[in-house]
Amino acid sequence: MHLCPEHQGPLVVETRNLRVTLGGRSILDGVNFRVPKGQLVALIGPNGSGKTTLLRCLLGLQKPDSGEVRLFGESDVREALPRIGYVPQRLDLERSFILSVREFLALRMENTRHWFWQAHKTNDQLIRSSVAEIGVEELLDRPLAHLSGGQLQRVLIAFSLLRNPELLLLDEPTAGVDTPGEQTFYDLIADVQQRRKLTVVLVSHDLSMVFRQASWVYALNGVICCEGHPEHVMNAESLKQAYGIHVSPYHHHHHH
Amino acid sequence: MFTEPFMQRALLAALFLGPLCALLGVFVTARRMAFFSDTISHGALTGVALGFWLGMPDPTAPLILFSLLIAGAIVWLRERTDLVTDTIMALLLSWSVAIGMIILSLLRRRPGDIHRFLFGDILAIGPLEVWLAAGLFVFVGVGVFLKLNDLSLITVQEEMAHVCGVPVRKLNFLFVIVLTLTVAVTIRLLGIILVTSLIVIPPATARSLSGNLRQQILLSLGIGLFGALTGTALSYALNVPCGPMIVVTCIVLFVVSLGVRALKRAVPKPALA
Repeated sequence: MHLCPEHQGPLVVETRNLRVTLGGRSILDGVNFRVPKGQLVALIGPNGSGKTTLLRCLLGLQKPDSGEVRLFGESDVREALPRIGYVPQRLDLERSFILSVREFLALRMENTRHWFWQAHKTNDQLIRSSVAEIGVEELLDRPLAHLSGGQLQRVLIAFSLLRNPELLLLDEPTAGVDTPGEQTFYDLIADVQQRRKLTVVLVSHDLSMVFRQASWVYALNGVICCEGHPEHVMNAESLKQAYGIHVSPYHHHHHH
Repeated sequence: MFTEPFMQRALLAALFLGPLCALLGVFVTARRMAFFSDTISHGALTGVALGFWLGMPDPTAPLILFSLLIAGAIVWLRERTDLVTDTIMALLLSWSVAIGMIILSLLRRRPGDIHRFLFGDILAIGPLEVWLAAGLFVFVGVGVFLKLNDLSLITVQEEMAHVCGVPVRKLNFLFVIVLTLTVAVTIRLLGIILVTSLIVIPPATARSLSGNLRQQILLSLGIGLFGALTGTALSYALNVPCGPMIVVTCIVLFVVSLGVRALKRAVPKPALA
């Protein structure tokens, strides 16, 4: 059913031999990472394996020492930014900053300008439909800084989808979410991906959680040490031995 | 009170600086930069001392220059060393207070001279200070108004702002400069020790009364304006330093806001029929 990335049409994300050294320590040591259009690809690896650094390279926030990053075939990452939605691991929000969810979402709209975000009809409709898609309508008037981990992640997804991106990058999106909430969250992402025909890169420390939705998995530990279909990666002896990623057979029954 | 030229200047300065500090304060508190502002203001003491040493009757220029220098030093050390930002700031703050006090003592200045800079003085507001305050007020007011979306996004999360096309580094740099200049000019009104309170208290007061950022910004502006003007007028009427009087006015408003908030929570909204 799934083919390996080379055979699946145009590449949305491609890195060639990417190397990054930070503070004298090699973080990425020749990473080749490819994501074909329309796929949901998981990037897994333990803490400190370079996942976040790789993501920062893709976003143009980290300059690689050598190697190449291409997004939509473009080598200038900044050109590609308007086509990207990004969901960070966490926010730096202070509780005293009471930006409401509605105001936050309006920040992403092109024609939100000044007048202190006074409701703008087209904007308001777009915002309403985006929160309806993700199921967070009831949160619109709550301050962003007062949401629970799960609510916040959903709002961030709604935010990242507002400008109809083609590529969605999620950095450990369930870091502040409890385990049952985590699974429904990944189901939501898979659902959105299917409906909008998105290309998705999902960074996670835990393969068992993304097992059900990913069509291809890259396991990173400084280099791509293993890649393939989730079943393949999950059973790879080399992976377990190399760095003991949590690969419980938790979701096997879903697939048989 | 309103016929004396020095009082007119002081009230004008308060009219500009109150809302200006309160507006910046919304973002300063949200970005945990209150200590940054405190460090810059204390750093100004060395600037004041150097000004006196050079025989300047009015040390506004060295005060502003030295504040900018301290801000630059914080940013530079943060990027070049492994030191925690708090440590860097505590270091620079105590260093410049120490140097400033040593110079002032060697110059045998009267304690009253130092007092005026530590706690603010309405008599110290000259035409230059009023013009500086007005210029900053216009520049920052327009700037924040135009860049409100970008500034809010950076406050939420810098990487996300970058993906949304916000020039994060440039805007952060501008914010630091604007904050530094505002603090430096406001020192004449509130004093080195108290200047940060006009940045911190109005947004905190507004916060307990508002449900979104729009309300918080507007209320904070109003509270900054009222606090600065009322404090300045009371300082004249009671013949006490202007900085402490503005702070006390703002704190009274803060306590009232806490009361209003508690009252709102205790009395549920009437159900709609």
